[in-house]
Amino acid sequence: MEHTVNYLVCIPLLPLAGAFVLGMMHMFTCKNPLPEKLYSFLAMLGPLGSLIFTLIVFATLREMPAESRYLTQDLFTWFSVGDLHVDMGFFADPLSTLFLLFVTFIGSLIHIYSIGYMAGEENFGKYFAYFNLFLGSMLILVLGNGPVVMFIGWEAVGLCSYLLISFYTKERDNVLAGNKAFIVNRVGDLGFVLGVAVLFWGLHSALGGAGFDYLNIKASASSLTGGAGLAVCLLLFLGATGKSAQIPLYVWLPDAMAGPTPVSALIHAATMVTAGVYMVARFSFLYASFPLAGDVVAWVGILTALLAAIIGCFQRDIKKILAYSTVSQLGYMFAGVGVAAYSAGIFHVFTHSFFKALLFLGAGSVIYGLHHEQDIWKMGGLKKKMPLTWIVMVIGALALAGFPPFAGFFSKDEILFMALAKGHWMIWLIGVGVAGLTAFYSFRLIFLVFHGEPRDQKSYEKAHEPPPVMTIPLIILAVGATFAGFFNLPSFFAGDSMVSTWLAPSLLEHHSEASRVTEGVAMVLSIAVVLLGIFYAWKTFAFKPQDKPLTGFAKWAEDKFYVDEFYNAFIVQPWIAFGRTISNFIEPNIVDFPIKGTAWLYGVLGMLFKVFQAGYVRVYAIYMVIGLSLMSIFLSQSL
Amino acid sequence: MYIDTLFSIFALTAVAGSLGLVLFRHPMRSALCLAVTMISLAGIYALLSAKLIFLLQLIVYAGAVTALIVFIIMFLNLREKDLPEENERFTYFIGGAVVLIPVAWFMIKVMKSIPEVKNSIVGNGFGSIKEVGQMLFTNWLVPFEIISLLLLVTLIGAVVLAGIRRESND
Amino acid sequence: MIEDYLVLSVILFCIGILGVISRRNVFTVLMSIELMLNAANLAFVAFARLNETMDGQILAMMVIAVAAAEAALGLAVIILLHRQKGRLDSNVFSLLKG
Repeated sequence: MEHTVNYLVCIPLLPLAGAFVLGMMHMFTCKNPLPEKLYSFLAMLGPLGSLIFTLIVFATLREMPAESRYLTQDLFTWFSVGDLHVDMGFFADPLSTLFLLFVTFIGSLIHIYSIGYMAGEENFGKYFAYFNLFLGSMLILVLGNGPVVMFIGWEAVGLCSYLLISFYTKERDNVLAGNKAFIVNRVGDLGFVLGVAVLFWGLHSALGGAGFDYLNIKASASSLTGGAGLAVCLLLFLGATGKSAQIPLYVWLPDAMAGPTPVSALIHAATMVTAGVYMVARFSFLYASFPLAGDVVAWVGILTALLAAIIGCFQRDIKKILAYSTVSQLGYMFAGVGVAAYSAGIFHVFTHSFFKALLFLGAGSVIYGLHHEQDIWKMGGLKKKMPLTWIVMVIGALALAGFPPFAGFFSKDEILFMALAKGHWMIWLIGVGVAGLTAFYSFRLIFLVFHGEPRDQKSYEKAHEPPPVMTIPLIILAVGATFAGFFNLPSFFAGDSMVSTWLAPSLLEHHSEASRVTEGVAMVLSIAVVLLGIFYAWKTFAFKPQDKPLTGFAKWAEDKFYVDEFYNAFIVQPWIAFGRTISNFIEPNIVDFPIKGTAWLYGVLGMLFKVFQAGYVRVYAIYMVIGLSLMSIFLSQSL
Repeated sequence: MYIDTLFSIFALTAVAGSLGLVLFRHPMRSALCLAVTMISLAGIYALLSAKLIFLLQLIVYAGAVTALIVFIIMFLNLREKDLPEENERFTYFIGGAVVLIPVAWFMIKVMKSIPEVKNSIVGNGFGSIKEVGQMLFTNWLVPFEIISLLLLVTLIGAVVLAGIRRESND
Repeated sequence: MIEDYLVLSVILFCIGILGVISRRNVFTVLMSIELMLNAANLAFVAFARLNETMDGQILAMMVIAVAAAEAALGLAVIILLHRQKGRLDSNVFSLLKG
């Protein structure tokens, strides 16, 4: 079977070309913008084209025998130094193809939605240029044939998130949020770069000048020594915590809500945050051989899930609640890949992208309908005004809570069950608890926004259902959020685990079997916890919710356990002080000293020598004659 | 030996003329001293049997160049107050002489090191117009043409520098 | 015998240099330069006599041509300077002063 194809490059290239064209058009017509329809049309071409090519890739891969399902395309040798040989190339296997499918599909839907959401906004063209760039970067990340090419996309999505989070540049807070996202990501990126460097250092003799790509790395991975392998895994995971918002680097994601709501949807559902999970799954052959690293990943993941879920229960801002739910769900995913249930983790990424995009776009509709009101305590009773939005949001919330048969149930339950089956019963226990919390806060949101009495009559009057260009993507996503779970129906429900089977060639996974009875009991237990969470939310918030100031533990949780303040006091401020010291003391006094001293020296020399520059022609003639005289004395010595 | 006598006379007048050139305050007197030096040098060229150079020295230098300088001096109509004071010129002259002693000494040493050739008698044609002219238009043709070009450039330059009066001036 | 001519040339040359460095009157400076050129000419002609070839004389001719050109240009410059400042003092023209 021929593995080399020539159309892989089109998948990332189309959105990137779109970004270039849109950006240029926007730059040159800044003063009097072109019609929005033109921008919308051009912006749609890239994602839809990528989607078509992705479907071609998918179809091609399905034709291949399962054990050698991959496509590659090498464009050119990027650089070749010593043993390090990096080709600029792309690599599509079942794992990256699954990512491609939902990234392009959901990305396209968010693009369509944005046309409605952003209508009439300033910098319409710039927004879509960034959007296309974001999508293209994510596709490079997913399609790259090795860690170095992946790093291009890895950095580029960081850049795009910065650009889009601080899209409304007129507000200082937005720009600060963008900076925060970028800088926090840099910390993770350092880990990623170091991880790749250590990986190469550990493998360079085994690679022997062959291309530094996944196939070769996988083939020679066994030559990695224990210490180096563990270091690689942990450093790469540090990179993942940055991109995918895990402890300790999750703080940027809630602040990333400063951007337009579709941006949040794109970051949370289709791009960026899933990059970390993808990377860990991509290097599953490493994490599988170093179980300690896997345990660290799993524990960090489940603790992040717990922490974010607790904070999410007490937030007031509709987008912040969803942001913490994303952090929490990402925690689940890492718990999944950490316990070596890679396909379960990836499947959760897949289903999560549907219902999180749905929730964000639904929240966007609410915000749009209420003219940029984000506080859920000022909403209420919107069910009558926005019935469609209500339905899709309830579907999204049920999927997020993991209520059967919605998408989240199958993927989340798969992760929890795998954790239990592999003997991590603590992780399972915390995971079930987090499922209850998730159900609680997602239905708290639903009840406060859509049920009860309107608390802010003025904005309630003006509330309206958004235009079809926004509702159609919502309906599509709602269908996806309802049925995506059936793609991977476990054998418990007489399913054939389609996604897991599809992913099996890419991932190094050992299936653990537990008895049917255990699986059934665990499932019933988690459904019961979810129902409990929904019931508690219903009891507390459905009828006469009291917006009273929080106290004690709840107050702590509402203020995010003061993690930002802690980071600020113990990391940011000392670092700033260090920078100040350098810029105020070391730089002017020590670094600049030789430079200033040189300038001073030449100044003094100039003062001395300018005496000789009298300006009189005769004086210059005298100098010449003196020189002639000295030369004569010297020459007559030898005569 | 009347040649030695003539050389001594010409050499003395040339040195005297050049000293006068350097030391007289008014340029007109200097110019006349220059003419004296030129004519003395023409005599010395004659002693060296350079007939053409003798003629050119008289016509071009003592005639044309000196006349031109005198003409310009008179053209500018210099008054006493236009001239620089230059009271310090003797100081500079003596100081310069001291500085120049090594230079002169070195050059004289070089001259002395030239091997002495007995004073031969050259042919009648040596230095005549015909012989020098033949040489000039055979061996030295290219430098000759370059010199003519130089003179053309000088002509244009002199016109550009001094000939065109700008209205805004004065 | 020939040495005497060369020594005379050296003496005239040195007096020319002295004229350039001790005088401020631009006319005198120009004439001192002419004197130095003449000294060089004398050396050329003397060497021509010594070697009994006429190349030195031809070089002397060329120097005369150059000197004539130099005199013409120098005088043009002097006229310009006089027109600018109305003075002939070379110390007045000290724009190069540091």
